[in-house]
Amino acid sequence: MPSYLLRRLLAAIPVIFLTSVIVFSLMRLLPGDPVLMMLGSAQTEVSEQTVEQLRHEAGLDRPLYIQYGAWISRVLRGDLGRSMQNHQPVWEALRPRIWPTLQIGLSAWILALLVAIPIGIISAADPDSWKDWLGSVLTLVGAAMPYFLIGGVLIYVVALRWHLLPASGYVSPWVNPWQSVRTTILPALTLSLGFAAIMTRQSRSSFADVLQHAYIKTARAKGLSESKVILRHAFKNAMLPVVTILGVQVGMMFSGAVVTETIFAVPGVGRLLVDAILGRDYSVVQGVVLFITVAVVISNLVVDIAYTFLDPRTRQP
Amino acid sequence: MVSQAGGRIASRAMRRSWFLRVASLAREILRNRLSLVGVVIVILQLGCAVFAPAIVGYDPNHIDYRAMLQPPSAIHLLGTDDLGRDIFSRVMYGARLSLMVSTFSVGLALMFGVPLGLASGYVGTWVDEILMRLLDSVMALPSLVLALTIAAVLGPSLTNATIAIAIVYVPTFTRLVRGQVMSLKHSEFVTAAHSVGVPTWLVLYRHILPNVINPVIVQATLGVGFAIITESSLSFIGLGAQPPTSTWGSMVQVGFQYLELAPWYVLAPATMIFLTVLGFNMLGDGLRDALDPLSRSRQ
Repeated sequence: MPSYLLRRLLAAIPVIFLTSVIVFSLMRLLPGDPVLMMLGSAQTEVSEQTVEQLRHEAGLDRPLYIQYGAWISRVLRGDLGRSMQNHQPVWEALRPRIWPTLQIGLSAWILALLVAIPIGIISAADPDSWKDWLGSVLTLVGAAMPYFLIGGVLIYVVALRWHLLPASGYVSPWVNPWQSVRTTILPALTLSLGFAAIMTRQSRSSFADVLQHAYIKTARAKGLSESKVILRHAFKNAMLPVVTILGVQVGMMFSGAVVTETIFAVPGVGRLLVDAILGRDYSVVQGVVLFITVAVVISNLVVDIAYTFLDPRTRQP
Repeated sequence: MVSQAGGRIASRAMRRSWFLRVASLAREILRNRLSLVGVVIVILQLGCAVFAPAIVGYDPNHIDYRAMLQPPSAIHLLGTDDLGRDIFSRVMYGARLSLMVSTFSVGLALMFGVPLGLASGYVGTWVDEILMRLLDSVMALPSLVLALTIAAVLGPSLTNATIAIAIVYVPTFTRLVRGQVMSLKHSEFVTAAHSVGVPTWLVLYRHILPNVINPVIVQATLGVGFAIITESSLSFIGLGAQPPTSTWGSMVQVGFQYLELAPWYVLAPATMIFLTVLGFNMLGDGLRDALDPLSRSRQ
């Protein structure tokens, strides 16, 4: 067991290293001078000397591998660099943004879980019935629904017509817990649909698989009711594969955050990334993308490790 | 002379067998209710894109300040936008760009992803090891975050959005093809082809590729749906289509400013995005069931 954990931890290091190289290269190797990009339309008014000076200040006149070495050694010490626009440390800009994204992401995940698991169970318990068919349709609709459609409908109906919830913004739970819940509901609902689609599909196939096993037939043969068979015998085992998609969903959460936080004006990680991209603040973009990637790799690692605790079979070499 | 005639018969037989295969595939897809709906939606969308000038009654870029933000009516089926332009016409013309960007990006991803997967799976060794670690790292980045970053660095334009989406999708095809090639490369038919002196590239092209293509077709179909969502998200953020060009995503972006006054401005293009993605996903699922019947029992 400890050797498995160690192996898994060691395997994550090259992925994080390569990702940091990719993030760094993306910012440097693709066409477009970062300094000119930062200056934007102002570049015609700035002298060549000033551009050189800015390039020197940002260390962009040094060879690429030295730039990477300097950057990664700072990152390892917890310094993600400074914003090219307001010179604020990237970590300082990022830190307050993490909680709103997590709060909405986690709420969306719980909402999705509450809907997806029962639908998955009902579909799997009665395959090829109208309930199963309805489950498939809901999954397809959920997977194809763009965030702006569901978000737009929710804002228009719930916020602008019925005046039940605020249309945009975010309040921290430490400032006003009730307002915080109210501002979380609509973005979380918007984000949850995509989560629910994947979870329903996964839980349906996982339940369908578990229900084929001999121990389920035995449980039925003993005369247990179908609900007892499902809840007491199938549930725990069928839930295992559902855990594995958690890692994927952390990635989805950040992708979704980019759009939902723009729609609902939530000051989260996604909105910070969009603002930095539109403001051509590439050191912030670099820091935020690296943070997101490391978060995804670590959550995949945690899911893998959790899985070995939940399913003893995977511990065997 | 004899060999020419033989060749003609063989090619006719091949054409016939190809036709029969397509016909049986079409029958299989049309038998499934969900994929039938998918086929209908995709055909309708393609029809809208191709025949847009014949369907719409207005120039999509015709500005009419006397008819700004008008609700849907008999004159303007889906209402008008903030510049008085007919939304129905703009949505129909938008279908052209949105479908073009998504199919081009999937095509580009196929062009690079499939050969890379073939080579990586066939060669194996350290080449495969390095490439796979590299792809693992690319795939660790959430798709939209990666597309956004690439599109941002390349600069906001529809062409760059197409390239960004293609780059995001290359690893999916490479991994898919690589896995299939690895399971096939020690097959007897591959060894037989080698033993009669067929060069490696021809073995890959003529013998391995046709055997790995089915899941690639399924993934490519599902990929068009993914590309439409990604393109519209990029345009929504401002990194895709730039004015006066508009795709569904950029229409939604402007429409959100008028959500309270004119909800149809957001709903019309957003619903088109939804329907198109739904159509391609349903078609992709149907193709998977038809081309790979084992996957149905696995699901």
